[in-house]
Amino acid sequence: MGAKIEAKAVSKRFGEHVALAELSLEIDQGEIFGIIGPNGAGKTTFLRILTGYWLPSSGDVYVDGHSVVKNRFAVQKQLGYVCEQPKLYDDHGVRTFLHMMGALRGIKRADLDAAVERAIERFGLGEVQRRRIGVLSKGFRQRVSLAQAMIHDPPLIVIDEPTVGLDPRQQIELRRLIQALGGHHTVLLCTHQLREAEVCCDRVALLDRGHLVQIATAQEMEAGGSLEALFLDLTQRSEGQG
Amino acid sequence: MTQRLWALFRKELRTLFASPIAYIVLTVFVALSGVYFFQHLLNYNRLLFVFQSGAISGGSFDAGTIPLQVNSLNDLFIPTSNDLSLFLLAVLPLVTMRVFAEERAQGTDELLLTTSLRPWEVAMAKHVTTYLFVLLMLAVSAIYPAAVVIKSHLGMEHLLALYVGQLGYGMAVAAIGLACSSLTQSQIVAAVLAYAIPFLIIDFTWLHPVLSQGVAQVLDEFALQSHFDSFARGVIELRRGLYFGGIIALGFTVSVGSMEFARAR
Repeated sequence: MGAKIEAKAVSKRFGEHVALAELSLEIDQGEIFGIIGPNGAGKTTFLRILTGYWLPSSGDVYVDGHSVVKNRFAVQKQLGYVCEQPKLYDDHGVRTFLHMMGALRGIKRADLDAAVERAIERFGLGEVQRRRIGVLSKGFRQRVSLAQAMIHDPPLIVIDEPTVGLDPRQQIELRRLIQALGGHHTVLLCTHQLREAEVCCDRVALLDRGHLVQIATAQEMEAGGSLEALFLDLTQRSEGQG
Repeated sequence: MTQRLWALFRKELRTLFASPIAYIVLTVFVALSGVYFFQHLLNYNRLLFVFQSGAISGGSFDAGTIPLQVNSLNDLFIPTSNDLSLFLLAVLPLVTMRVFAEERAQGTDELLLTTSLRPWEVAMAKHVTTYLFVLLMLAVSAIYPAAVVIKSHLGMEHLLALYVGQLGYGMAVAAIGLACSSLTQSQIVAAVLAYAIPFLIIDFTWLHPVLSQGVAQVLDEFALQSHFDSFARGVIELRRGLYFGGIIALGFTVSVGSMEFARAR
């Protein structure tokens, strides 16, 4: 059914620079939620806080009631994370890498081989399963990254810029995959691709310089003009202020 | 937890031996330690031959008698210990520099630290793998000396104590290197620090001119060299082990702390 996420006044400061300013939002179980915004909007910062990689300067994020500040390990057990530009071990073979990630994500030894098989099949990695990750194309690397994030079938999947560097066909395939995840999993999708957000997401949050500007539903995106119009309006205003 | 640690440990081994550096370091270390050991052995045999044959006589030496100063401890074990410690100091930073720094530079630490792994688990796998590599280096380099010592009855216990000392020393130097690697993304910076710190603390005699005798004596107790010297003499002391253990614990703490610190930055 997915996990419920509640961000409560989450802030992150790096010295004087405010990367995220009191961000509050709620994401329902099974929802595909997009986060968009220009560079430096705080998208990746929020994801890194949600995944427990960074501590917030103030505020907290709760995943099914577990605080990421107080109990990040309980939160991390419930999520799979696809980092921006897949961060993988290039010297590992695909199958070896998935095996390792499955073990690290707590899959029992007896179930590990079956979980790796499922992931290989689901993400079409059969033809490259014996190859070294370092020699794979961007598309296959992205698939490996998705496979490792979902090998333990987590309720929450966090995906940062999934289609960067992919060709149009791979982008379409990936969007279909993300759409198929909705309902069974909560998906938090951070993207620069407005079209991707429009197509995949039930709701989209627009961030700018660490502030939440607006949250739009799919219906609002269709009725009130496209996300593109909203984004352009926002960036023009930002430039005007800048 | 055991399964996760085992998976991490295997990953570290795979990463270590996927790099040519491990093989180069191993080869260079074994070759150098072998060559220098045989050089010391040759010199020792020459001295024995010279004294036994009575080629040196008169003065303080009796013809055909080997003087007390000429013995396997002074002419073989202590020089070998000094060589091994120098070689370890020269090559270990090349192994440790990448362990944490590369992970951070490539961003794969983000992958690991979002899988509910504790930072101490990540650090533990990296430290244990590196220490096993030190053990491997010393074990391979010990084959020829062990064969010679056994064959010629030169005192296996001396050689054993020497290698126990070198293992403790090598692990301490590796722990310093790993701590340095955990503090930076740059492998070069990690290597420079990993060379500089052991060189500074290997011996504090360079500080004696500016220190009072009491302070100098206390400081000398913390010098790396003073601790492995006693092993080379065939003495295994608990306090020496505790000293190396303390450095290893400190290196491990710094490694874990640096990951927690990076999270809170």
